[in-house]
Amino acid sequence: MSAAIVAERLTRTFGAHRGVDDVSFTVREGEIFGFLGPNGAGKSTTIRLLLGLMRPDSGSITSLGFDPIGDDVALHRQVGYLPGELAWFANLSGGVILERFARARGLTDSTYRDELVARFEAELDRPVGQLSKGNRQKLGIVAAFMHRPRLLVLDEPTSGLDPLLQDSFARLMHESADAGATIFLSSHELDEVQRVVGRLAIIREGRIVVTDTIEGLRRRAPRRITLQFDRPTDPSAFATLDGVAVEHADDHEIALSVTGAMAPVLQCAAHHDVVDLTAPPTDLDSLFLSYYRDDDDGD
Amino acid sequence: MATETAAAQVTRLDLRERRRSLIFYPLGLAVYALIIVALYPTFKDDSGLASLSEDNSTLMALFGASGSLTSPVGWVNANLYTNFVPLIILLVTIGYGASALAGQNENGILGLIATLPVSRAQLVVAKIAAMGTLAVPVSAATFVCVLVGRSFELPIGIGALIGVTVAIVLLGLVFGVLSLAVGAATGSRGSALGITAALATACYLISSLAPAITWVHQIRFVSPFWWATGAGQLGTGVGLGDFAALVGTILVLIAVAIAAARRMDIR
Repeated sequence: MSAAIVAERLTRTFGAHRGVDDVSFTVREGEIFGFLGPNGAGKSTTIRLLLGLMRPDSGSITSLGFDPIGDDVALHRQVGYLPGELAWFANLSGGVILERFARARGLTDSTYRDELVARFEAELDRPVGQLSKGNRQKLGIVAAFMHRPRLLVLDEPTSGLDPLLQDSFARLMHESADAGATIFLSSHELDEVQRVVGRLAIIREGRIVVTDTIEGLRRRAPRRITLQFDRPTDPSAFATLDGVAVEHADDHEIALSVTGAMAPVLQCAAHHDVVDLTAPPTDLDSLFLSYYRDDDDGD
Repeated sequence: MATETAAAQVTRLDLRERRRSLIFYPLGLAVYALIIVALYPTFKDDSGLASLSEDNSTLMALFGASGSLTSPVGWVNANLYTNFVPLIILLVTIGYGASALAGQNENGILGLIATLPVSRAQLVVAKIAAMGTLAVPVSAATFVCVLVGRSFELPIGIGALIGVTVAIVLLGLVFGVLSLAVGAATGSRGSALGITAALATACYLISSLAPAITWVHQIRFVSPFWWATGAGQLGTGVGLGDFAALVGTILVLIAVAIAAARRMDIR
C-alpha cells in the first residue's frame, strides 16, 4: 500500500507557543488513521500543515503525493476538510453554502450530497448563524464528504453530535474508507477513535509519543494485577522485577502495574502465600491517559 | 477552468453574505445625494455662503471644500465628492478588506474557503472582485443622483463626472486592498482596520488641507485623495496621471496582498 500522507520531522512553533516539534508519521492510502491527544497538543497545527494552511518551520510533508504549499490547488481538489472549530457564514443558509461549495469543486451530480443531507438530517433553509452546534456540524460533514474526496481530514468530527448520529458518522467513515478514501481522524477522545481506526498516533505537547494499532497498544498497555495474601507481605520483592511497578501496598494486598512479561511476577507470587489474584481486562483508557500525563515516558 | 469557477464562488459567497450592504449603502447615499442636489437652488444665490467660502479657505478646507461653495462644482464637491462619498466608499472597502482574510480567519471561516481548490493568489483576486462589486454601486448611485441634479440647475460636466465616479471607486480600492494586505500580513482584523483607517485619515487631511497650508500643499501628491477628487477633478476632469497613480498603487498593493496571503497562517 502506498502512503497518503508522509510527515518527516515537522516542526512549527508560534512564538512562545509550542505548535508541533519533530513530528513524523505515515498514513497509508485507504486507512483510517487516528490522531489523538489532549487539547492544545498540536493536533490542529498538524492538520493545518498537512493541508497547506500553514508552512512548517522545518521538516517536510506530502499529502496525496503533493506538496501542500506548492500544489495546494491540486491537493485541495481531492481533500475534504472538517475543521475542529467549525464556523460558517452566519447570514447564509446551509443550502446556499453547500451549493457554492459544490460548484467550487466542479460537482455537477448532487445525488450523493442529497443522500448525505437526508442521512444526517441537515438543516438547509435557516441561516447558519441560527443553528445549533450539532446542526452546523452536520453541514460540515456534508461539505467534507459530498465530493467523495480521496483524503478526508476530520478534526474532532463528532463534537456536538448525539450518539445516534455519532454511529451514523462512524458508518460513513467506514464506507468511505471501503471505497478507497484515506481518513485522518483527529480527536481528544479515545472513544471517538477506538472503534473506527486501524492505527493511531498519540501526540502530546507537540511531540508524537506513540504510533501503533489499537491491538498493539492493547498489548503494550500495562496490566493491573492485585494479589491478596493471608499475612503481611513485603512488596519489595515485586518492585525489583523488570517492568513491574507497585501501585499500592498494604498488609494483605499488593497492586501491581505490569508492562513486561507476566511469568516472573507469577513465579515471585508463588513464593508467597497468595490467597487471591485479580487481573481485570486491559484498560485502554488508562494507557491512553498515561500517555497524556507522564512527563518522562514515551520518547 | 474549475479553479476559475472556484474563485468566483468565493466572491459570490462573500457578496451574498453582505447583500444588505450591497443594497443599503448605495440606497442611503442616493437619498443623501438627492437631498444635496435638490437643495442647490436654495443656496446657489446665497451671497453670505459664497463670501464665507471665498474669504476663509482654511475653514472650508477643514470641511474638505475648496473654491466657491455656491458654484455647481463647488457645491457637489463640498457636499459629496471631497468628503461624504469617499467616506462611505472607504467604510465599505476598508471594512470588507479587513474582514475578507483576517476577519474570516479570526472567526474560522477561512480554513474552509482556503481548502477549496483555489490558490492564495486566486483567493486574493476573488476578494478584490467582491470589494469592487461592493464599491461600484455606491459610486454609481451618486453618479445617477448628480445627473439628476441637472434638473436642479446643477450642470456638472458629464466627462468629469464619469471620471470622478471611476476615480472614487479606485480610491476605495486603494485603501480596501491596503486593508486586505495589512490583514493578511498581521492576521488581525483590528490591525487592518486601525492601520488603514489611520493612513486614510492622514491622506484625507493632506488632500483637504493642501489648498490652505503651504507645507501640506507641497506634499499633496502623496495622497490618493488628491489623485481622485482633491485637485478639483470634478471641474477639470480626472487626468491620465491621476488614473495611472490610482491604478498603479492598487496593482502594487495587490502584489503585496498576494505575497502576504501566501505567508498567512490560516486556522
